[in-house]
Amino acid sequence: MNFIPHTKDDISKMLSVVGCSTLDELVSEFKPRLSELKLDEPKSEMDIVSYMTALSEKNSPMKYFAGGGSYDHYIPSIISHLVSRGEFLTSYTPYQPEASQGVLQVLYEFQTFICLLTGMDVSNASLYDGASALAEAALLSSAHTKRKGVFVEDGLNPNYFKVLQTYCDGTELYITNSIDQNTACVISQTPDFKGNIKNPSGLIEKTHQNNALFINCISDATSLAIIKTPGEFGADIVVGEGQSFGIPKSFGGPYLGYIAVKEFLTKKLPGRIVGMTTDDKGNEGFVLTLQAREQFIRRERATSNITTNQTLLALTTTIYLASLGKSGLQNVARASYHRAHVLQEKLCKNGFELINTNPFYNEFLVKSPKSTEKIIADLMEDNILAGIDIGDNKLLISCTEKNSLQDIDSYISKVIA
Amino acid sequence: MKLIFNYNQSNTNHTPQENDVDLPEELKRGSLPLNDVNEIQIIRHYTELSRKNYGIDTNFYPLGSCTMKYNPRVNEDIAKLPGFSNIHPHTPANHAQGALEVIWELEEILKEITGMDAFSLQPAAGSQSELLGVMIAKKYFAEKNETRTKIIIPDSAHGTNPATAAMCKFQTVTIPTDKRGNMDIDEFKKAIGKDIAVVMITNPNTLGLYEENLSEIKNIAKENGALMYCDGANMNALLGISKPADQGFDMIHLNLHKTFSTPHGGGGPGGGSLGVKLFLEDYLPIPRIKKENEKFVFDSNKEKSVGKLHSFYGNFGIIVRALTYIKSWGVDIQKISQIAVLNANYLFCLLKDDFDVPYDRRCAHEFVISAKNFGEKSTINIAKRIIDYGFHAPTIYFPLIVKEALMIEPTETESKETLDEYAKVLKTIIKELQEEPELVKNAPHTTPGRLDEVKAARKLNLRWIPNES
Repeated sequence: MNFIPHTKDDISKMLSVVGCSTLDELVSEFKPRLSELKLDEPKSEMDIVSYMTALSEKNSPMKYFAGGGSYDHYIPSIISHLVSRGEFLTSYTPYQPEASQGVLQVLYEFQTFICLLTGMDVSNASLYDGASALAEAALLSSAHTKRKGVFVEDGLNPNYFKVLQTYCDGTELYITNSIDQNTACVISQTPDFKGNIKNPSGLIEKTHQNNALFINCISDATSLAIIKTPGEFGADIVVGEGQSFGIPKSFGGPYLGYIAVKEFLTKKLPGRIVGMTTDDKGNEGFVLTLQAREQFIRRERATSNITTNQTLLALTTTIYLASLGKSGLQNVARASYHRAHVLQEKLCKNGFELINTNPFYNEFLVKSPKSTEKIIADLMEDNILAGIDIGDNKLLISCTEKNSLQDIDSYISKVIA
Repeated sequence: MKLIFNYNQSNTNHTPQENDVDLPEELKRGSLPLNDVNEIQIIRHYTELSRKNYGIDTNFYPLGSCTMKYNPRVNEDIAKLPGFSNIHPHTPANHAQGALEVIWELEEILKEITGMDAFSLQPAAGSQSELLGVMIAKKYFAEKNETRTKIIIPDSAHGTNPATAAMCKFQTVTIPTDKRGNMDIDEFKKAIGKDIAVVMITNPNTLGLYEENLSEIKNIAKENGALMYCDGANMNALLGISKPADQGFDMIHLNLHKTFSTPHGGGGPGGGSLGVKLFLEDYLPIPRIKKENEKFVFDSNKEKSVGKLHSFYGNFGIIVRALTYIKSWGVDIQKISQIAVLNANYLFCLLKDDFDVPYDRRCAHEFVISAKNFGEKSTINIAKRIIDYGFHAPTIYFPLIVKEALMIEPTETESKETLDEYAKVLKTIIKELQEEPELVKNAPHTTPGRLDEVKAARKLNLRWIPNES
């Protein structure tokens, strides 16, 4: 396949303007490679489609009862139609705001949605994913408090913990076991990895007594529709993964990290931020703002090194939230909650033991009376992913509005078979 | 200005009604301040917004250092196949063999293109790839018990390079650019020493120039035990022609969204990647993907690894698109770079008599010219006026070392006809600057007027606030 429009005639005309006789001569200054280039023959569109389709068919999409940072919520049709529009898809960071008002307004709406859902004052225009958003929040806390200790409450998603640890090692922060005058931040996940919804008030109080910042990391973003907002509880920073809001599971990415803060931390935020302003005729419009924080101006004194973010996924999320609205989002959250509770009750009637000690949302942990490895293998035969095996015959199970009562019945019948 | 929050409440029927949940009051959300807006209004709202936006699909978009090439639509279709888009990341590896193979295969191809020995596709973007590279350097020297506190970066580098170095608590040593646009070799020699961990070079650099002293820089860096890092943001100049590992680089990052044509999406998602020489392979993030007896497996058993960088395995959907793109090209990829270089040099030749040329050399895939002869702020005025002619502006005021800089990267997918038109427009604007300067100074005239960025930063308005009533 070839996406180059030049005819032979174009190339020779252009070469003569440049003063070269061949294309090879044009690049002769570049040190040539020392070895052969071992790549396949080029493929036509038809051939590449069949090659890649065959690869995709080696994966098996199934009914998912697994979460752990990626949730199988329904994605309304409207999203892909709007997100595929070339004006959005093929634009870039709005460096020329006059030619980018569409994307800028979308990001302003995104920032607003994140603030409304989390109960926070200010949101940025997105980060890479939930885990890196959490790490960025820890860096922000350290920059604000001039401290290096990061306290992590039990129950953080282990993948997030690993990413946090990587960032801490690289940037000379450390994970600490105590909350004291060296602690920059206290991290708590809601619902936590096992699905528990804890009241963070006590922990927040202790955090603030030590002049540290409280970071609330949200797992399934749809939970924000029914759980009291982190802002109301008193969190200073909220981060999370926006994948639940209309983003395909896509084997883990690209996803959408978000970060929202209380007003006093606005200027410490990493990444892009959109603000409303006026044009030279006094009409309202949008621009990237507070750019003096950013790497392309501030270089080694920037608040972070982030350049590219996840704008198209912020667009996806914005359309998802607009499309579902208040009642849709509430129904999605309620359905996810109810399905999980139905499944949990049925499992517990069949010898499973609920490990959760707190109320849960759509994810819960059970101890199985039989090998979880076998359960996962058995249900896989019916194209069901039974959950996440976390060892010791414990299974982390998640439901969304897509797991129908029928699906739950076939899950149960397969488990007890 | 109508925001999605300004629409009246309407009737929607997206989801079946569900009963309220049984959570204790102390944990339960109070009001949810969102509206219900009907689908037709949402379609119109966002379609209208899309029309207020330039993209590659609507306008030539020659942003320097961003590689805004055509994004083949077939790549989008492939990424949406259910076997890719609908796979949960916690699927056991034996039921996601195709997904592991996609990642493994792209790693293999990038190894071939760069000459590196191992690749990780976990970084979500270029800047996260750099962060990974610097973390690896930090860990590598810590294990060798060598105290190296500094990173050498030329003054033409992308801002991410020094920002990344600073995140990892390295001090940056900035090397000026010489008269030919290379990193000044004498200044480099003065700066290098046993305290330097990494020499971070962008090649071709942000001036669009191939670094001429690379082999000497490499030798000196190696003598001093420093690692050579290549910011590969500009790899679109070198595909199939030159392998960065041959030039002595120990690490390179590639931006999948630039070189391999995945859509830039208004600012992302991008796709990162980091390639390393064999002696650094064990430091790459976990899990790695291995091929064992024709099966693909995850391998997290890497003691030296810097750890994990992404919630899962990287921006998989972007990896799928990039693989589709490279497999389409196959062994012909050098044509991409040859034409990208031809387009840049051609447009440069059409414009170089009209502008100040800070470095008059044959360029690579992009070039930098200056509007300083037309007075201060000429570049921003020209950029805004370009919009009126239906083109997107180049990157402006970057690199910082060129006054009134315009950094132009046409890419290989633009025709001679488009380049001719762009040159004509720039020449027309220069004429306007002399004959009707107000026309240029008040541009753009066809879109919203010039937006007040100072006001935006002073009177922060970063979100809509609901009426309390």
